[in-house]
Amino acid sequence: MSAGTLEMAILDGILTGGVYALMAAGLTLIFGVLDMINIAQGIFVILGAYASYSLEHSFGIGLFEGLIITIPAMFLLGAFIEWAFIRRLGEYNRVSMSILVTYAVTIVIEGVLLLHFGSNYRSLTASYVTQSFHVFGNYLPKIYLYGFLLALASVLVLYFILYKTRLGVSVRAAMDNRFAAQLVGVEVKRVSTLTFAIGVAVTAVGGMVFGAVQPFTPNSSYDLISRLLTIVVLGGLGSVGGALVGALVMVVVEDIISVAWTPTWATLIYFAVLVIVLLLKPQGLFGQREVRAQ
Amino acid sequence: MSLVNPTKSTKRIGLLLAVIVLVAFPLIFNNPTVTTIATYCVMYMAIATAWNSFSGFTGYVSLGHAIFFGTGAYTLSLISTGLNMSGGFPVFALVPVAGIAAGALAIPIGFVALRTKRHTFVVITIAAFFIFQLLAENLGFTKGSEGVTLAPGGFAASDYNNPFYYASAVILILTVFLVWHIKRSRFGLQLFAIRDEESRARSLGVKVDRVKLVSFVLSAIPVGMIGAIWAYFIGQIYPQFAFAASFDVTVALMCFFGGLGTLAGPVFGALVLEALQRYLVLSLTIQNLYLIIYGLLFLAVIVLLPEGVLPSIKKQISKRLLPTGADVSFNSPDSATSGIPQASAANKEPVKEGKAL
Amino acid sequence: MKSLFKRSKQRRIGFVIVPAAALLLAACGSGSSNASSSSATSTTASAKPIQIGASLSLTGDFAANGKSFQRGYAIWAEQVNKNGGLLGHKVSMKILDDASSPTQVATNYQDLITSDHVPLIVGPFSSLLTVPAATVAARYGYAMVEGAGGAPGVFTHGLKNVFDVSYPVKDGLLPVANWIKSMPAGKRPTTAAYVTSNNIFAQPQIAPAQAIMQAAGVKTVYNQVFQSETTDFTPLADAIAATHAQVAIISTTSVSKVIAFVKDFITQHYNPEILVGTNGVNQTAFTSAIGTCNANGIIQPNGWYAGYDNTLSHQFVKAYLAKYGGTTSQITASSAEAYGVGEVLADAVNATKSFNQAKILKYLHSGVTFQTLQGPVKFNSKGENVDGVVLGFQWQSKGTKYVQILPASDKQSVAPLFPKPAFCS
Repeated sequence: MSAGTLEMAILDGILTGGVYALMAAGLTLIFGVLDMINIAQGIFVILGAYASYSLEHSFGIGLFEGLIITIPAMFLLGAFIEWAFIRRLGEYNRVSMSILVTYAVTIVIEGVLLLHFGSNYRSLTASYVTQSFHVFGNYLPKIYLYGFLLALASVLVLYFILYKTRLGVSVRAAMDNRFAAQLVGVEVKRVSTLTFAIGVAVTAVGGMVFGAVQPFTPNSSYDLISRLLTIVVLGGLGSVGGALVGALVMVVVEDIISVAWTPTWATLIYFAVLVIVLLLKPQGLFGQREVRAQ
Repeated sequence: MSLVNPTKSTKRIGLLLAVIVLVAFPLIFNNPTVTTIATYCVMYMAIATAWNSFSGFTGYVSLGHAIFFGTGAYTLSLISTGLNMSGGFPVFALVPVAGIAAGALAIPIGFVALRTKRHTFVVITIAAFFIFQLLAENLGFTKGSEGVTLAPGGFAASDYNNPFYYASAVILILTVFLVWHIKRSRFGLQLFAIRDEESRARSLGVKVDRVKLVSFVLSAIPVGMIGAIWAYFIGQIYPQFAFAASFDVTVALMCFFGGLGTLAGPVFGALVLEALQRYLVLSLTIQNLYLIIYGLLFLAVIVLLPEGVLPSIKKQISKRLLPTGADVSFNSPDSATSGIPQASAANKEPVKEGKAL
Repeated sequence: MKSLFKRSKQRRIGFVIVPAAALLLAACGSGSSNASSSSATSTTASAKPIQIGASLSLTGDFAANGKSFQRGYAIWAEQVNKNGGLLGHKVSMKILDDASSPTQVATNYQDLITSDHVPLIVGPFSSLLTVPAATVAARYGYAMVEGAGGAPGVFTHGLKNVFDVSYPVKDGLLPVANWIKSMPAGKRPTTAAYVTSNNIFAQPQIAPAQAIMQAAGVKTVYNQVFQSETTDFTPLADAIAATHAQVAIISTTSVSKVIAFVKDFITQHYNPEILVGTNGVNQTAFTSAIGTCNANGIIQPNGWYAGYDNTLSHQFVKAYLAKYGGTTSQITASSAEAYGVGEVLADAVNATKSFNQAKILKYLHSGVTFQTLQGPVKFNSKGENVDGVVLGFQWQSKGTKYVQILPASDKQSVAPLFPKPAFCS
């Protein structure tokens, strides 16, 4: 292994980490505000990928242009699911029930995708998917760079919403304490619906980039969701910046182990790192507080 | 009235009948397909009962009990092949060993994972699950991705399934008996108190950490024993099947379907869903439709019967027969009401919310 | 108050277990009632139609291949019926879905044998499911001819009823290795990189090929096993690219992994002289993901392709296109493997003139050679196909033609593109 390989691996990890951050950003918001575990985020990402795929194949709409349609569509889907199912979760046994509801949502969407698209792998294609920039003797794949920039942009947009809008004030209040927020006049229900919808809307972008860097089937959501959950817990629930850092840590750790030692143990080392971090800092890297005890 | 509040003797008769049905079933229905499905049903009934005794009672959702299933499977497989055992009944002697191995492993895992709050706990159990699956895939002594093949049972083909059925049935009875005792005990009340409000339970003097850990370990043991029987039954284990990612969610759905935190709920849920699933797979032709139906069924249950099928049915019956004020005892997640009075108010909340929304 | 609680809890057990058990009784009762309905093992002139049982992964991880197998079996049954059936019996396939689960595959074969009383069974998809399936079949003395259980692990368990009509998986890369070995020293590549997923199909292919190549002076510059859980393949692919190995071999079971590696090779402008993927290279999912032109020159070993010059194969291709339409390139080797399974089983039935499993087993073990669309099949004592031929295929003509190139001695092989042309984009 040359020194260049290690540097390259770190760079790769940062770029791929961006893609994962993009997928996890919505999840951490939902996690933080609605105080629930959303298993369905993985299938939302895959659904976003299929949405981009359909627009591209049926209407010839490019991946980035397609986002103008897929983002609002996913927003509406998220609002509907929150209204129809999530809202019915009580405070009681909320963690268990949220897992079950969102798992049921997952298998319904998976079944619909399987009926419509079948189980063969699909990929999003565009000229830039296999092109790269030549920088300082290294080739940087364009799509990863775009994905990373989109991740940064999404994080900035979410920060803007959280800290510069009235909605953001309500969202943060609800994140601190749903009950107290309600007492001071925050419409927690409306905030929850909007947060869930925004969290799902982000997966339109995440799904587009994921589909461009990796082939997918309706089955792909299960591997994805376990990774996304670890990212948001590592980063700290509700912290959008934490999701970015969590994703970078995950991929960079695995990539360094892969080239410096062996890919065989890379994944295991990451999970071990995760467990150790959570033992030392149960609220995650950027969690501001202990998660409420429910 | 008698349907809702049977006398002590009718209850005993009911219980006795259930055990008789359990024991006599493979003798009456001896078609091997039926006994195969019945064996898996009994296995999942035991697993769901055990899983529920931790996750359903404490509200800490474990998505890592597949670790104990896989550990049990590997323990029996590696020891029996290591000793060159040639099948037959002696292999079943390793089932308790597998239970001990699973329980022993649960101590450090629980010790580490239970230090976190319940959201984080879910994710730590997922991480632990992957760690153990990867270990099974890559360690030398587990034979890696090649898996382990056991000597065949060597029982006659016509009733080959029966030893596995009865072994599972024994574990089921023991598990139900154990959980029944837990539920009636002070220990059980402490678990429910933790579920309802952990900080309050702590302030009331419950040794929260120790109680959770003991419950976690106890719930791991039957899962490990069933994993061992499963490995012997199927004859060949691979890491990705012994440590299956979908295991815990499947079991959680069974528990929820029947009634999370109740004693009979998981037994009922596992029986119905496992039988239903195997039956549907054998009879349905459009397979992907099955996923949609299954998912919609659950969403319907969640929306219409948010406490699970059994508690909801019972509440309906009790409402019809006892129109006023009597539904206290049928409050779905029955539990802490008697032991810790403060918790009972919180306990009733979900019922209200579920209806109000 | 206390007694009230106590009672309600006790009641719960009896209250529920009885109806629940009754429910199972009802469910299973209905299952057993249709168990005795079909029994067609007689070979008398009455010539009732017979069912041939199989469990395939129509959902779950192996669904794509499972469905290809389903097509292969369906066409085989159609062809058999066109030619008058098996010993005069019309045949139909009874296929159950196992959702890629070993538990379900075992249950399914149990059901096929003991409830449906199918006189014949054929194998499932994937080496992972073959052993549990064959174990159940062995219990009832059934032969299991299969086409997708060729991993070494399948044959080391002392199962006497497994017969794999495809080539043994461990031989997969031998044609490529022997081709490299046969090159004149000046032309022969000198460095090779190997990467494989940790999987019973992918991993066993590496070592035998590596041994041949090393003996021929091809230095190993990279050799790693990765996990299927890997999130990011770019550092592995970059590390291979950084070695500038002249031969790159990617052994996987999933087309998604080989796509990930090749995509990165393209962005890294890494053009090995020989690039081999053991699985998925022939799929449209592969060419559409990386771009048709970029596939040019990439090699995959396999037992069969639609252009294979064999009379039985031509028949199969014709029947496939008539039934399912499309083009020859859409016919997968998996469909052909399934068809080959049927051919071998039919030959055994016809030769023994019976559906008697003991006779069929004896015949399959007798060392006779069967002719299939994949070429000759002859089983050793473990059930491996010792005559199994591995062919090498390559995308040529800018990725528009998938042609046979190996073994070079075979008259159907065309000249390989060597060195592989540079990627297009």
